[in-house]
Amino acid sequence: MRASFVLSEIGIGLRRNLTMTIAVVVTTAISLALFGSALLIRSQVSTMKDFWYDKVEVSVYLCGEESTSPNCNGSAVTPEQRDQIQSDLQGSPLVQRVFYESQQEAYQRFSEQFKDSPELVQNVSADALPESFRVKLKDPTQFEVIASAIRDQPGVDEVQDQKALLENFFKLLTTLQLFALIIAGVQVFAAVLLISNTIRVAAFSRRRETGIMRLVGASNLYIQLPFLLEGVLAGLVGAVFASGGVVALKAILIDRLLKPSFPITAYVGWDAVIAVIPVLLLTGIVLSGLASFLTLRRHLRV
Amino acid sequence: MIRLQHVTKVYSASARPALEDVTVDIAKGEFVFLVGSSGSGKSTFLRLLLKEESPTKGQVHVAGKDLARLSNWKVPALRRNIGCVFQDFRLLPNKTVFQNVAFALEVIGKGGHVVNKVVPEVLDLVGLEGKGGRMPDELSGGEQQRVAVARAFVNRPMILIADEPTGNLDPNTSVGIMKLLDRINRTGTTVVMATHDAAIVDSMRRRVVELSMGRVVRDQVRGVYGHGA
Repeated sequence: MRASFVLSEIGIGLRRNLTMTIAVVVTTAISLALFGSALLIRSQVSTMKDFWYDKVEVSVYLCGEESTSPNCNGSAVTPEQRDQIQSDLQGSPLVQRVFYESQQEAYQRFSEQFKDSPELVQNVSADALPESFRVKLKDPTQFEVIASAIRDQPGVDEVQDQKALLENFFKLLTTLQLFALIIAGVQVFAAVLLISNTIRVAAFSRRRETGIMRLVGASNLYIQLPFLLEGVLAGLVGAVFASGGVVALKAILIDRLLKPSFPITAYVGWDAVIAVIPVLLLTGIVLSGLASFLTLRRHLRV
Repeated sequence: MIRLQHVTKVYSASARPALEDVTVDIAKGEFVFLVGSSGSGKSTFLRLLLKEESPTKGQVHVAGKDLARLSNWKVPALRRNIGCVFQDFRLLPNKTVFQNVAFALEVIGKGGHVVNKVVPEVLDLVGLEGKGGRMPDELSGGEQQRVAVARAFVNRPMILIADEPTGNLDPNTSVGIMKLLDRINRTGTTVVMATHDAAIVDSMRRRVVELSMGRVVRDQVRGVYGHGA
């Protein structure tokens, strides 16, 4: 197999079909960029889970004078009840550590949190804030087990899982990821049709050459390889553009815009981006190669 | 070299067979004219030899191979043993004479030094020395057909198939092409030529196989075009 021959055939084919080739490259690039973004969203969710699940706690609020929960019977928690709850929590194999926050500490934290709105802090007294146990679980997904064990104990007002708040946000991201995947799928479908069409036109416009090649006994590989590589090359160029798009997404959207505005959370690092790029390139090659191969089998009789 | 045994070919679209119970045996080095009116089955005969079609019934042997048993991926190897020339030349208009002939070698994987050695040789053989750099549309019909013959012969095939090679040429030019085919035949290459050209068949005095309605109606060792000669 002479490489120069195959390469020159590919060059001729791509130039002859320039508009079609551009369409293939653009469609492939968009579909793969969306696919890459979906993959990045997934690693973003898992990065955030790693980051936040380390920090989230279960708050066990204890009854105060004004608690309305039926569990409290309208009276504040007694010291015996509080000790019982604490020893139960500390005795549980699911719990990593427990610390107690008094009403005074809760007030301090509250005034720290809302120091920008002093009128709100002035209107709240320490008595209005409940005392609580902050429970760190070994496995944050085990919330329900600990909650059901502790919820009905006398003196417990309410058990709250901070993780539930995060879950809503993750659901939003997962929905976003799903949408990106659906649009990517539709685009992939369009890209496959375009590649198939391009190869068909290329095979038709070079039927004179391929006819002669058949007659003089060129092997199937020799006849089909230039077309196949033509499709794969277009797909690969599309995948390279898509990789550029994903890099831009990380550099501009995440690093320049999101990070300065919302510094409280962790974002996907460059390692995740670098992991996505080979996936995109491989998908581009396999996809276009498969589309070309199947088209050739139908339209290039050997 | 070529053997058809009780070959029948029916195309699905038509009721009448294109070939019916055809038995022909062509030895190595023979020169055979295939004559008959349009639709008599000449083209089908030639297509069977290239395994572009498979017979409905009967057996085709070419170059010692039973084509029915030849797997698809071995068909290219068969076709490297068969050169083809057509009425419409089938040259690539955007390639020079040299490139057209070289193309036949390149696509079967021959390297540049082989191409550079063999192509000028074969261009000399067909009488086109010094015209390698021309484009096909700068040549006369006869010269274009010489390029096609050069391309068919450059790989030194055992068999040369010519489908109405003089069909587009005037009588004088046709004689030149026939002399060329005769010279190729004398190198030991088996030549099978389908033709309508009575004058050529009569002047060459070679074996004539006549087809009519898909049947062999005549097979003469030193025949002429018409009947009763």
